[in-house]
Amino acid sequence: MSEISSIVDFLEAGIKAEGLRQRAITNNVANLQTPGYRRVDVRFEQLLANALDSNGAADLDEIEPDVYQPRQTPVKSNGNDVSLETEVGEMVKNTLRHRAYVGLLKKNYQQIETAINVR
Amino acid sequence: MEVSSSFGPIDIAVSGMQAQNKQIGAISSNVANAQSTDNGDGSPYRRLEAIFRAVGDEIDGVTVDEIAADMSEFPRILKPGHPDADDQGYVSMPNVDLPIEMINLTVATRAYQANVAVMKRYQRMVESTLELLR
Repeated sequence: MSEISSIVDFLEAGIKAEGLRQRAITNNVANLQTPGYRRVDVRFEQLLANALDSNGAADLDEIEPDVYQPRQTPVKSNGNDVSLETEVGEMVKNTLRHRAYVGLLKKNYQQIETAINVR
Repeated sequence: MEVSSSFGPIDIAVSGMQAQNKQIGAISSNVANAQSTDNGDGSPYRRLEAIFRAVGDEIDGVTVDEIAADMSEFPRILKPGHPDADDQGYVSMPNVDLPIEMINLTVATRAYQANVAVMKRYQRMVESTLELLR
């Protein structure tokens, strides 16, 4: 029983992180021309991996997706470092990950449903 | 534990789009300055070109780390009334050739579109994998 809920918990945390990342990307695109704006990104997978490395088990309540400024992309003359191409690429990646998580979640519930319907 | 983004082709396609974007920027600067006889230091505008380099020796995409000036000679035309004319009445013009710029623009646009096509195709590939979850 705990096995099943932990899968759902992981997927839920992943979907939440993707939702936040989608907001970060939208914010970056909205600030495409804002002088001095630095793009933001969401750090979650690495934090989860670090927790799994140290404890072997991660407490999802303690791992919060973290919004940060990567400050790695080249800065334009107006002090802004948003590139539309990068944001589109990030959005495509985010969408694909999101679909994968939702698909896995759906599959998981389908299995439970199959178990319930066995007569 | 290493977190792999596992969407390498998307990052590579994005790097290609950004590189072509810079090339298109250089071309538009050349076209806009095709008649600029003074770039501030007394010499005519020099044609710019984005120099493409592969990132690392692995599969890591492309980058433009340098916008190089074309050092070919400036064409001279006779225009005695021009303020930038020399003693003989000749004016040095920018070494920009508009037909060449237009061809380069077409090449850069098509290359940009090719990178977009790669990204779209890869997206469809991953989506078809995700179909297996249905």
